[in-house]
Amino acid sequence: MSLAGKRILVAKPGLDGHDIGAKIITLALRDAGADVIYTGLRKSPDYIARVAVDEDVDALGLSILSGSHHELLAQTRTELAARDAADIKIFVGGTIPPQDHQALIDAGAARIFTSEMTIDHVLAELELALTETA
Amino acid sequence: MSDNPPLNRRQLSRELTAASRATAGQLINRVGPDRERRAYRIGFTGPPGAGKSTLIAQLAAARAESEARVGVLAIDPSSPLSGGSILGDRIRMDEVADSPDLFIRSLPSRWAHDGLTGNVAEMLQIMDRHHFDEVFLETVGVGQTDHAVKALVDTVVLVLVPESGDSIQAMKAGILEMADVYVVNKSDRPNAERIVGEIEGVLALSTGSRRGWQPPVVTTSATRNELGDLLGALASHRAWTEANRDDLAWRRRAERHHVQSVLNQQIAEIAEQAPVELFDASGAEIYAHFLTHLTPPGD
Ligand SMILES: Nc1nc2c(ncn2[C@@H]2O[C@H](COP(=O)(O)OP(=O)(O)OP(=O)(O)O)[C@@H](O)[C@H]2O)c(=O)[nH]1
Ligand SMILES: [Mg+2]
Repeated sequence: MSLAGKRILVAKPGLDGHDIGAKIITLALRDAGADVIYTGLRKSPDYIARVAVDEDVDALGLSILSGSHHELLAQTRTELAARDAADIKIFVGGTIPPQDHQALIDAGAARIFTSEMTIDHVLAELELALTETA
Repeated sequence: MSDNPPLNRRQLSRELTAASRATAGQLINRVGPDRERRAYRIGFTGPPGAGKSTLIAQLAAARAESEARVGVLAIDPSSPLSGGSILGDRIRMDEVADSPDLFIRSLPSRWAHDGLTGNVAEMLQIMDRHHFDEVFLETVGVGQTDHAVKALVDTVVLVLVPESGDSIQAMKAGILEMADVYVVNKSDRPNAERIVGEIEGVLALSTGSRRGWQPPVVTTSATRNELGDLLGALASHRAWTEANRDDLAWRRRAERHHVQSVLNQQIAEIAEQAPVELFDASGAEIYAHFLTHLTPPGD
């Protein structure tokens, strides 16, 4: 329940066409008390950043299965910064090989979530990350 | 329009969040009358899935051509179990309407049970301060209980569908009497004209206090971008309102709704913070607990 009142955007950038994972996480976040907006498939980083700003979200989750996670994270951060919103925390989820995790964290992701993690673990990590100051 | 300062989306966005997160105690001293000059407000209500969001998107797209600054506040229900929500209105809007002068904010209903959300009155005032020409307010869409929106907007649009036939008789005494414009959306499906006839039949019988306004019934197909006479109906009602509205009565009603909603919020907050054992006490004792915990203005 400690995600109560948090506004979270779950976004699907890039070209992959599967969003079961994004939908599962959307429901889990709602059940943990958060107010969740899901973008639907194949959104551009520009679009995602605009929605994140207009909706004033506390966290932005990028669900990426296509392998383009480095590019999409970088582009999304650029678009957020262009809107004076570099402080919005970004989480990356999907098929992310373990060897890429550190690079994504170094590039500004707050946490990496993979399908091997339990939902409870994801929620606990998310909650923790939202209390950390940048 | 064009002489307005550019829209600062980040700031507007944060002001809206602050307004929605304010506690009742903070709000008491902020309740204040609506400004004189303000955005024209249109409320959309009607049963779940009737096409309110899709219709708003089409209207917003039509307005964008005239470079009007259009805002949308779209409310979706909060889960009574977890308190969380999935805010799904926006996804229907963004795909159609994407313009630099359009701003959409999704809002959870939270403790509000009147089809709106807490402190929406102040959020509408924030939209005014950011120079919106027009604001569309989408209610939760529970149909019968969404009257409250009438206190806050200039025009109420009730969106129904061809399948609404059975409920129209049931709605007679409720929301069906208070809308200013009636829409039968999904007119690409059978029976739209029959529903139009049924609504007109009910309206002909109602002698409510409309002070001369004859509410039109229009058919639309939002997914086919067929707005029928909706734009014309909205323009007519706006012209009628601006010529005939009793501004004093309107302001009193808005203020009454605003204060009442702050009180409702405070009562919800007191209930949430009360120790569970409180509810073992007698009704009178529980009642006294609520009364002593209400904050007077100025504290
Ligand atoms: N056939 C048809 N479908 C429509 C029309 N307008 C909307 N829809 C569909 O109806 C569904 C619901 O549309 P929304 O715009 O989300 O309806 P809503 O009233 O905002 O729904 P809630 O906010 O959930 O109460 C979507 O699948 C739309 O594509 C229409 O004119 N014709
Ligand atoms: Mg909707």
